[in-house]
Amino acid sequence: MEFDGERILDGINLYFNDHEFLTLLGPSGCGKTTTLRIIGGFLTPTSGRVLFDGKCINDVPPYERQINTVFQRYALFPHLNVYDNIAFGLKVAKLPKDEIHTRVQEMLEIVGLQGFENRRIDKLSGGQQQRVAIARALVNRPKVLLLDEPLAALDLRLRKDMQNELKRIQQAMGITFIYVTHDQEEALSMSDTVVVMDKGRIQQIGKPEDIYNEPKNAFVADFIGESNILDGVMNADYKVKFFGRTFRCLDAGFQPNEPVDVVIRPEDIDFVDPEAGHLTGTVTSVTFKGLNYDIIVDFKGFKWLIQTTDHQPVGATVGIRLNPEDIHVMHKSEYSGLFGDYSSYSAEYDELTEDADDEEE
Amino acid sequence: MKKTNRLFTVLIFIFLYIPMAVLIVGSFNTGKNLAVFEGFTLNQYRELFRDQDLLALLGNSLLIAILSTAIATAFGTLSAVGIYRMKPKLRKAVMSLTNIPMTNPDIVTGISLSLLFVFIGTGLLGQRQSLNFWTLLLAHITFNLPYVILNVMPKLQQMNPALQDAAMDLGCTPLQSFFKVTIHEIMPGIISGAIMAFTMSLDDFVISYFVTGSQFVTLPVKIYSFTKKPIHPKIYAMFTLLFLLIFVLMVTMNLLQLRGEKQKAEKRAKDESKAMRTFKRVAAAACAFILLLGSVLLIATTRQDKVTLNVMNWGQNIADGSDGTMDLIAAFEEAYPYIDVNYSEYASNEELYSKLSGGGLVVDLIIPSDYMIARMISEDMLLPLDFENIPNYENVIETYKNQAYDPENKYSVPYTWGTVGIIYNSKYVDEADVTGWELLWNEKYKGQILMFDNSRDAFGVAQYMLGLDVNTTDKAELQKCADVLSEQRPLVQQYVMDQVYSKMEEGNAWIAPYYAGDAMMMMENNEDLRFYLPEDQAFNLFIDAMCIPACCQEKEAAELFINFMCDPEISGANMDYICYGSPIAGADAYMEDYLAESEIIYPPEEILKRGQSYGFLPEEITRYVENLFLQVRLN
Amino acid sequence: MKKNKSILLSTPYILWMLIFTLIPLGVVGYYALTDPETGVFTWGNIRDLWLFAPTLGISVWYSLVSALICLLLGYPVAYYIAHRGATAQKILYMLVMLPMCMSFLLRTLAWVGLLETNGIINQFLNALGIRSLNMIGTPGAVILGMVYNYLPYMILPLYAIIVKIDSRLIEAAEDLGCTPVQVFSRVVLPLSMPGILSGITMVFVPAVSTFYISQKLGGTDTMLIGDVIERQFKSAGNPNLGAALSLVLMLLVFVCTGIMNRFGSDEEGGVVV
Repeated sequence: MEFDGERILDGINLYFNDHEFLTLLGPSGCGKTTTLRIIGGFLTPTSGRVLFDGKCINDVPPYERQINTVFQRYALFPHLNVYDNIAFGLKVAKLPKDEIHTRVQEMLEIVGLQGFENRRIDKLSGGQQQRVAIARALVNRPKVLLLDEPLAALDLRLRKDMQNELKRIQQAMGITFIYVTHDQEEALSMSDTVVVMDKGRIQQIGKPEDIYNEPKNAFVADFIGESNILDGVMNADYKVKFFGRTFRCLDAGFQPNEPVDVVIRPEDIDFVDPEAGHLTGTVTSVTFKGLNYDIIVDFKGFKWLIQTTDHQPVGATVGIRLNPEDIHVMHKSEYSGLFGDYSSYSAEYDELTEDADDEEE
Repeated sequence: MKKTNRLFTVLIFIFLYIPMAVLIVGSFNTGKNLAVFEGFTLNQYRELFRDQDLLALLGNSLLIAILSTAIATAFGTLSAVGIYRMKPKLRKAVMSLTNIPMTNPDIVTGISLSLLFVFIGTGLLGQRQSLNFWTLLLAHITFNLPYVILNVMPKLQQMNPALQDAAMDLGCTPLQSFFKVTIHEIMPGIISGAIMAFTMSLDDFVISYFVTGSQFVTLPVKIYSFTKKPIHPKIYAMFTLLFLLIFVLMVTMNLLQLRGEKQKAEKRAKDESKAMRTFKRVAAAACAFILLLGSVLLIATTRQDKVTLNVMNWGQNIADGSDGTMDLIAAFEEAYPYIDVNYSEYASNEELYSKLSGGGLVVDLIIPSDYMIARMISEDMLLPLDFENIPNYENVIETYKNQAYDPENKYSVPYTWGTVGIIYNSKYVDEADVTGWELLWNEKYKGQILMFDNSRDAFGVAQYMLGLDVNTTDKAELQKCADVLSEQRPLVQQYVMDQVYSKMEEGNAWIAPYYAGDAMMMMENNEDLRFYLPEDQAFNLFIDAMCIPACCQEKEAAELFINFMCDPEISGANMDYICYGSPIAGADAYMEDYLAESEIIYPPEEILKRGQSYGFLPEEITRYVENLFLQVRLN
Repeated sequence: MKKNKSILLSTPYILWMLIFTLIPLGVVGYYALTDPETGVFTWGNIRDLWLFAPTLGISVWYSLVSALICLLLGYPVAYYIAHRGATAQKILYMLVMLPMCMSFLLRTLAWVGLLETNGIINQFLNALGIRSLNMIGTPGAVILGMVYNYLPYMILPLYAIIVKIDSRLIEAAEDLGCTPVQVFSRVVLPLSMPGILSGITMVFVPAVSTFYISQKLGGTDTMLIGDVIERQFKSAGNPNLGAALSLVLMLLVFVCTGIMNRFGSDEEGGVVV
């Protein structure tokens, strides 16, 4: 897919299964909305094919696809009320009046908006608008529902509620949801399958647990959760060397002495007495986070983030131990060396700016 | 500070509204002068509704405004959608194209369009009539389009683009999504664009003035030609009614808006969308009706079994039925029911010449003066007459046949003759000063003197005063005249043509050179006015004659008209109104006695002998004089 | 697919505007460069233009003066309107719009009746025992006519800008120690600059090209460039010279608006009516 001569998507090869909740996850500009728009039919790929039930639908316009979309910021019609918004697609399809009525009522019930039929759109709260948008799409009984950052405009509490709500609706309707978000927590908690994307390419496809536990490269490791990423060398199967020490690990199948990226999750690290540790370092900063402390420790000039419930004062010398299951080894990739260093750590680390507009035209 | 600001605002509003108040008061005035309230009357309104021509002009204006607004709104809205979807660079280029008519002065837009139409119509297609209803409509659409686009574009940009996607996602084709969603979103822009376009189009004068032909004239263009003369107070009555109409419209629109906003808060959306639907239906029906009406009117005006005779005459130069005279055009149309006279006016020979040589007009009959006839003959602008169709030609007195301008009398039949002298206000002007043309150079009356605003008459006055040949081609002599005219300039209040009426009748100027017949009419309205022909000096003796221009399309009908005018009874009735001398034998029998016996109209033979007619001047000299005169006017 | 449609939608418009705005200007250029009699190419009309330099100067001078007077008169009014309640704003806005919808020919004519030697104002002055003033036919009368006709074109864009100024900015300025005068000069005035510039343009352009106002209210010394052009087309029969003059007028206006735009921000669409 190219846009204005710029390559937006490259080598996307994705399969969606029936009744699946699939999430496209990535930072803004990664091509996830573009992918969604291609599926929806709003964009035509410059090369490649979109198959639906085995048929190529590249040239099928959006209004003839059995796919519906919940748009970013909903795109509800401001000149219509709740009822007419939901009934819009059915009216266009010229369904009989009473059928429209029953189906709209049904939908209103599913999204819990009975009694709001005549309400103007601008008189609804964000969550209610969200529900109308979902109802408006689902009432057409699509085979696939596309959701483009549907929860981005809601506040935190409401977002959590709606996550559960969406999951419930998906299970109740039994159709495929393709969900776009940049929020990794949302992706992990709702999806059957997560597709991590960046720079127009798929970085990893997998179940949420696999993605978290077995990131394929430094990007995925950093984007999903927090990671300390170190340069290492795979001495042999199950043996990785970094910081001048060789550690045992659970990874195998690398070339002998292959340079690799080593990922250590901050919550997997435990403090021990300096003498007893594999490594010793100095605490440079401590931030209270509620559940835990974020502690930055300087190991030979390389700063690690460690999340622990043990408080350590700044300046203290600490030791750590690393168990084999805490160490993940990845092949080197174009992302190596870009992530995983907390030298410039600040308390508001890697809050992703919600700049989703970049990926629209 | 707030108080002074309020006071200031009130004063500015008074400033804005006083002239309109003057016009409204004028509509209830028994007299014609805006400055003198003579008494209350509603007659002007009665006169207005009796004046079919004026109402027809208003109809013309409405027709053009409605058609151009409807077309520009539909066309502009669709175009705006197209422009909106363009790539930014191209969009910027198109928007600057859109801004050209907005930033260009109206006069340039008008001129450029009129030159284009004449260039294509007359130059390329060889049409006689390249300026007409259609060119006017095209021009109005052109200047209306930017208003629509500039109003719709921001609404499109404000619109959430996902709405269109949402509509398509829910099964709308692109066209359906435009009508079901987009149009609702941009409706306020469409409406305000249409309102703006309509008012601009209805009130446009400058562009229409340059682009319109003689057959289809809008109200503002006509008002412009009126205002050269003492304007009839029924125009003020029309102004008052239009003012009321627009005022009421604006107030109701504002009230509706205010109420609508309140209702939005209270009323349920369902009713609103219902109201919207009804509104849409009504609007669609109204549009359809207007378009239908427009096309019917068009077909009605373009397809006629009747012959249309386009007559172009001097202002106030034919009896029109007012003040107890005969309505000659009505009488002619009665005598020849299959002929429809389309009558239009010009203020000077030069204007007539410009109109004809500029192309773009169909005119079947004109009534220029002697020297202009000579010029037109030399430039092949006139057709020879078929005198078989003009048996009444034998009524023309021999003196006025075979004149120098048309020696073999092949192209013209005399209409009137008259003299040019000086009209003055005896209340202010000392009788001792009333001698010759020098009165116009008398320092005593600085700022109260009016002067001809056409080169030939102005130079003529100078030549008569200096005792020079009025038909000279000697550039040195002409330069001398220009010098004299430049000397006179500081004394002159204004250079005028038809405006001389109001200026003199209302005492706002005291001295003016003008045509004897017009002087008689002014004297009827102001008894202090006097007229004289200079003692011992030459003066202009002119003959206006009926001719058929080369662009004529109804020659036979035109000849019938000429024949009609040569009837003694008709000519006499005509002179009752225009107060000139009739060249038709026996016409005086039908004229009112005071006219037939007037020395102003029929000066004694020994004075008449001093009269000199204008002859033909070569093109080069005409242009030279024209340029000299422009220099006099400018410096 | 989408691209093609947009071209389909806008091509007629682009063609229309090319045919009816750009090409006509080309035709004006063609006339300006041809001889009125022979129709052959000539620089003659362009060469004659210098004769009209003083006229052009007067036109520009009068219009600039009118635009400035309009600004001085219009700004307080726009400011006042912008600070009324919503309903009052609507009504006052409408009252400013209303004169623009009425025939400007007749409204100008009413000024003739007011300013004449024996006109309404002089009758009024005489009644007060003051000698008649000589008003009609003076440059002042022409400028008055321009100010009167085009004042709404100044007030409306000014109002549109002033009403948008966030009142918190004014409060912030006061909070930072500005006196009312300073608030105006340092905050309100700079913020209303786009309105001032578009107002000046909207008064200047029609004023510099008018011919009706000077014909009715002017005298012997107040012939404007618009008069000369109108005369070339409507009575002198020299459209070629007229075309050359309109070309100059157009150039002048584009240069002026260009300068205005350069001074102003990139605010698009100065058209507020």
